[in-house]
Amino acid sequence: MLAKLKAATFEVLETMFFLFPESLEEGEILRSQGPFLRSSVTIAGPQSIRIGLQVPQSLARKMAANFLGVDEAEIYQPEMEDILKETTNMLAGSFLSKMEAPAALKLQTPIVQWLSAEEQKKNKPEKGLRFDVDEEMLELFVEKG
Amino acid sequence: MALWEKKMAYNVLIVDDSATMRALIRKVLVISGFDIGEYFEGGNGREALDILENNWVDIILSDLHMPEMDGETLVQALKKHEMWRHIPVVLITTEARPEVIKPFLNLGVQDYIQKPFRPETIRQKLTGLLGEARTTDASEIESCDF
Repeated sequence: MLAKLKAATFEVLETMFFLFPESLEEGEILRSQGPFLRSSVTIAGPQSIRIGLQVPQSLARKMAANFLGVDEAEIYQPEMEDILKETTNMLAGSFLSKMEAPAALKLQTPIVQWLSAEEQKKNKPEKGLRFDVDEEMLELFVEKG
Repeated sequence: MALWEKKMAYNVLIVDDSATMRALIRKVLVISGFDIGEYFEGGNGREALDILENNWVDIILSDLHMPEMDGETLVQALKKHEMWRHIPVVLITTEARPEVIKPFLNLGVQDYIQKPFRPETIRQKLTGLLGEARTTDASEIESCDF
């Protein structure tokens, strides 16, 4: 499952954001200044799961700027939130396709929240992947829905 | 260009709850060189139907998962309507599972584009529906930094 999620992450970031992530080793961490954005989407079904990602604000801004083809100075909070939700949605959709999941598994509406550096430390995902994206850390997590 | 060679401009309705995705799709259409008359944008199916009440639209590009009224309900409403049933609909969605997409194709949706997409994919699909765009150099789109 994590291998398919990893493939989906590469596909989405490369195609839509022109960003080329590198997997981090287990335990390897890149320090970033907060605040952070955490977005997740539930895949509802017999065994619901939630897929999400967490990035520092600076990476969210870069993603939104690359996505829209504008300067980072033109990106504000609504664009960053929107782009995180859309990214999570695309990741989950790509993941479901790669898993050839049955139609009974349904994507719900993604949500996003802001986390301080302290809250981000407390929100360590149990199961997930970490990526180095332009020297900033993107964390992908999977939880029971 | 001679008068008889002038191509028709198309009115496009983009339906997506993400404002950034609507902006991106619009940008792709611009750089693809389609002769677009008017752009309309709706954040969900309800807003799309409101736009259609007062405006002529030639093609609808719609997401599936949206709050208030989703893409499925929108397509069903369109296909029940005497005039709107003939408007081509292309789904632009994160979903590409055949079991999810097939019912929409059976309902009369023309095509679908899976997110993430490359600009060239949108151009190719729309060229099939609307005809050739003004810009025919595909490399111009592929190399576009947007």
